[in-house]
Amino acid sequence: MHGFLSYLNAHFHALRLEFWGLFIGGIGSGIIYAMVAIGYTMVYGVLRLINFAHSEIFMTGAFAGYFTLNYLIGSSSPTGFSSILLIIVGILAGGITGSFFAVVLERVAYRPLRIRKAPKIAYLISAIGASYFLLNLAAKEFGRIGRGIAQPYQNHTVFTIFGAPVEMYNIIIFVAAGIMLIIVDRLVSKTKLGRSIRSVAQDSETASLMGVDIDRTIAMTFVIGGFLGGAAGFLYALNVGVLYSMGFTPALKAFTAAVLGGIGNLRGAVIGGLILGVTESFTVVFFSGAYTDVVAFAILVLVLMFRPTGILGELIGRSA
Amino acid sequence: MTNLFEVSNITLRFGGVVSLSNVSLYQKRGEILAVIGPNGAGKTSLFNSLTGVYQPQEGSITFNPKEGEPISIIGKKPHVISHTGVARTFQASRMFNALTTFENVKIGAESHKGIGAIGAILRGPATRKDEKYSDARTWDLLDFVGLRAKANYIASSLSYGERRRLEIARGLATNPEVLLLDEPAAGTNPSEKLELTDLIRKVRDQMGVSILLIEHDMKLVMSLAERLYVLNFGSVIAEGTPDEIRANQNVVDAYLGTTTAEGAN
Amino acid sequence: MNLPFIKKLSTKALIILISSELAAVVTGPPGNGDTPWVGFHDSITQKASFFGLFVTGRWALFYAIGIISYLAVHFFKKLNSNNSAMDSLRSQYSSVAKNKYFKLAAVLVIGVLAILLPTVITDPFWREAMVSQIAVFVLLALGLNVVVGFAGLLDLGFVAFYAVGAYATAWCTGALPMPPIFGSHVNPFFAIPIAIILAMVAGVILGIPTLRLRGDYLAIVTLGFGEIITLFANNLTGITGGAQGTEQVPHFSLHIGPLKYIWGLDPVPYYYLVIGFVILFIFIFYSLEHSRVGRAWTAIREDEVAAESLGINPLKYKVMAFAIGAASAGFAGVMTAAQSNFLTPATFTLALSINILVLVIFGGMGSIFGVVFGAIVIQTITMYLIHTPPAGYQPPDLYIYIGALLVIMMIFRPGGLFPARRRQRADVATSSLENSND
Repeated sequence: MHGFLSYLNAHFHALRLEFWGLFIGGIGSGIIYAMVAIGYTMVYGVLRLINFAHSEIFMTGAFAGYFTLNYLIGSSSPTGFSSILLIIVGILAGGITGSFFAVVLERVAYRPLRIRKAPKIAYLISAIGASYFLLNLAAKEFGRIGRGIAQPYQNHTVFTIFGAPVEMYNIIIFVAAGIMLIIVDRLVSKTKLGRSIRSVAQDSETASLMGVDIDRTIAMTFVIGGFLGGAAGFLYALNVGVLYSMGFTPALKAFTAAVLGGIGNLRGAVIGGLILGVTESFTVVFFSGAYTDVVAFAILVLVLMFRPTGILGELIGRSA
Repeated sequence: MTNLFEVSNITLRFGGVVSLSNVSLYQKRGEILAVIGPNGAGKTSLFNSLTGVYQPQEGSITFNPKEGEPISIIGKKPHVISHTGVARTFQASRMFNALTTFENVKIGAESHKGIGAIGAILRGPATRKDEKYSDARTWDLLDFVGLRAKANYIASSLSYGERRRLEIARGLATNPEVLLLDEPAAGTNPSEKLELTDLIRKVRDQMGVSILLIEHDMKLVMSLAERLYVLNFGSVIAEGTPDEIRANQNVVDAYLGTTTAEGAN
Repeated sequence: MNLPFIKKLSTKALIILISSELAAVVTGPPGNGDTPWVGFHDSITQKASFFGLFVTGRWALFYAIGIISYLAVHFFKKLNSNNSAMDSLRSQYSSVAKNKYFKLAAVLVIGVLAILLPTVITDPFWREAMVSQIAVFVLLALGLNVVVGFAGLLDLGFVAFYAVGAYATAWCTGALPMPPIFGSHVNPFFAIPIAIILAMVAGVILGIPTLRLRGDYLAIVTLGFGEIITLFANNLTGITGGAQGTEQVPHFSLHIGPLKYIWGLDPVPYYYLVIGFVILFIFIFYSLEHSRVGRAWTAIREDEVAAESLGINPLKYKVMAFAIGAASAGFAGVMTAAQSNFLTPATFTLALSINILVLVIFGGMGSIFGVVFGAIVIQTITMYLIHTPPAGYQPPDLYIYIGALLVIMMIFRPGGLFPARRRQRADVATSSLENSND
C-alpha cells in the first residue's frame, strides 16, 4: 500500500513538473482529433451511421500533402513567407484529396445501400470493406515503411509558457486548425448549405419535402468532413510522417472525441477532441507509452456505457 | 378487489419537453378501457411508460396481478414487465418479418420459459414437451384470431388487418392479464375494423384478458370501450363512459382544435 | 439516336472504364513511396497478353475484360428474367433442394468427400493448408456466423476469442511463462474443454458491457477490444511471452488404456480431428438456429423493441450468442496452437477478424451451408495465391481484394452467395414495406 502511494506521489510530482509541456502537446494532438471528429459527427448527423472509412480519408490527405511538399520543397529549406505558403498548399492538397475520397466513398460504398434502404449492419460492413481496400492499396502503391515529410518550416521554440517551450509546430497546427474549425462552424450555422445539412440531420423526410436535395446535402457533408479529415492528416504527418496504416489510431481517438462531445454535435466534437488530447497527454506520466491507446479506448467504452449522449449531448436526440 | 393498473401522478420529460404531466388513471380488472386524444397528446408515451420502454421521472405505476404481490412498473425492463402479465401491440405493426406467422406467435408462447440452449442442442424429453406445448398453444391462438390458414406465410406478406390480428395473437401467447393495443385499427378497411372489434371483445370475454386501448377511430372506441380517458397536451382532461365523454365540453373543444374533428360526433 | 440513351451509355462506359482500370491497378505491379505514380503508371501501361492471343497494354486488356463481363452479367440477367425454361429449371431445382432426403444425401456426399480428401491431396503445402488455413477457418467462420448471422451483432474483434483459445492451450500445457494450475506438460487434449470454456467466459465478460450498446457502437468497441488483446499479448511478457510468444506447445496425444496415439507433424490426423469438431459445431449451431434460441435471436435482430415486449431479454440472448460463437473460435485456437506448436500475438490481428468476416459475408450471413462454403472457397483461393503467386502479388495484397469483396457483396448481393432463408425473407420484407417508427 505504501509502495503504491509513493508510486502515485512520484508520478503526480512528475505531472506537476511537466504539466505545461504535456498540456501544450495535448492541445496539439487534441485539435487534430477535433478536426477528424467533425467528419465523424457530421456524417453521423445526416446518415445516422459511423463512417468507418474516415481513418483512410485521413491517410489519403496525409499522403497527398506528403507528395506535394516533397515535390515542391525538394532539398531546399524554406523560411518565412514561403513556409506559410507551403503549409497552405499542403493543407489544400490534403483537404481536397480527403474531400475527393470522401465523396467517392459516399457514392460507391454508401449511396447504393441508401437507395436500397439497407439495414445498418450493411453500411458498416461496406465501410469496413472500403477502408480495408484503401488502406491496403496505399500499402501496395506507396510501400509499407514510414516516411518523413519534407519540412516546410524551421522548427524552433517560439516562446515559453511557465517554462514549457511552445514550438513552431504547435503554433502552425493551432492556427491552421483553429481557422478551419471556425470556418466550418460558420459554414454550418450561417449558410444555406449549413441550413440544409442541419435540416437533413433533424429529419431527412421533412427536409426533402421542403425541397432540400438530400443526395447533394449528404455529398456536401462528406466534402466538408473529408476536407477537415484530409487536412488533419497532413498536419499530423508534418510531425510524424506518413504510413499506410497511420489513420487507424488517430481516427479511433477522434471517434472517441466525437462520442465524448456528443455525436452529431459539432462544437462538442471540438471540445471532446481537446479534452481527449490533453487527458491522453497527461496519462503518459502514469502508464508506459504502449498503453496510451488503451486510455483513449477506455474513455470511449466508459462514455458509451455511462453517458452515451456525451458531454454536450447529442444535437438531435433520437432513440433509434 | 384491487384495480389492475394504478397510475398515479406520472410525469415524463424528454430534455425540456414534457410528454406526460401528472397523469393519474386506473383500470379495473376485466375492463375494456380506452385512452383517446389528439395526435401528440401523449398516448403512446403512456403506453411506453406502462411497458417499461420509457421511465417516467415522477409518480408511480402499480400493476396488480391476479396472484402475488402488487408490482411497481417504473424502473423495470420491458421483458420483465412482459413476464408479469402485460402484453402490447405497436402503432405501426412490428412483426418479425423474417419469420412465418406461426413462428411469430410461437416466440411469444415460448419466451417465458428459461433460455435452454443446452436443451435446444440435446433435445431431451423436457425440451420436446415444451415444444409440443408451445406448438399447441400457437395453433390454438392462430385459430382464435383466424389465421390458421396463413400459418406458414411470411409475416410481411399479410394484409394490415391480418397483421393486427397476428400481433394480438402474439401478445396473447405470452399469457397476459392485460393487453395494451396501440391503434389496432390504423390502416385497416371498414370490414377488417368490424372483425377487429369483435376479436377484441372476444379476447376479453373468452380469455378474460383486460384490454387497454389507444385509438383514433371514434366509432370503434365508442362501441368497444366501457370507460375512457381523454388526454390532451400530456394531461388527462376527462374521464367517463362513452356517453359522458360525448357530452363533455372540454373534449369537444380539444378535438375541434385539431384535424380529428370526427371525435365530436 | 436519342440523347438520354447516349448519355446513359457513356455513363456506363465510364463506370466500366474506371472500375476496370482500378482492377488493373489492384492486380498490377506495386509502387513505392518515392515515386508515387509508378505503380499506377506501370499497372496501366505495361504490356500483357490476352490468353496468348495478342499482346496489348494492360489498360485496354482490362477495359475489354470489364466490358465483356458487364455484357455477360447483363445478358445473364436478361435471360434470367425472360426465360421461362430457366424459371422452371430453377423451381425444379429449388423443390429438389427443399426435399429433406435430398438434403440428407447432399450432406452425406459432402461428408464422404471430406473424409476421402486427404487421399487425393498429397502435396505437403495443401495438406498443411487444408488443416491450418481452411478447416480452422471454417470453424472461425461458423462461430462468427452465430454472432453476425444469427444474432445480427457486428463483432470486429472476433479474433480475440481465437487468441484466448490458443493462449489457453499454451497456458494449460506449460508453454507460457505463466505456470499452469494443473502442473505442467498437460496433453493439449485436456486443454480443449478448458480453452473452449475460457473463450466462452471471455465472450460473456466482453459481451455484458458492450452488448448494451447500439449496433454501430458495438462494432467500434469490439474492434478496439480486439486491438487491446493483441496489445496485452505483446506487452505482458511475464504472462504471454510477449512479442516472441512461445514455441513449446506440445502436439496432441491420446492414452486411453491400450489405445495410444500421438499427433505428430503429419497434418492428416489433425485434419480428421478438426473435421470431427466441425461436424459437432455444425450440429450444435444448426440445432440452436432451429430452436427457441434461434427464433429469439432472429426476433432481436429484426425488432429488438418488439422482442423485448414479448418477454425476451435481449442482453441475455446477445451475450449467449457471443459466448456460443466464441466456443468454436476457442477450439480453433486450440487447433492452431497444438498443430503449429508456436503462437505469437502477430497472428491475432484486426486484419484476421476482417478476414473471418468476409468468409461469413461471402457465403451468406446466417446460412451455415453458405458460411462453410464461403470459408472453403475464399481460403482455398487465398492459399492458392500464396502457393503460386501471380507476378507482383504479395501476401498482404490479399486485403485489398477482401476489402473490395466486402463492398461489392454489400452493393450487389448482401445476403451472400447462399442467403439464409430467414434473411432472404427479411430482405423481401424491407423492400416491399417500410416500417415507420412510432
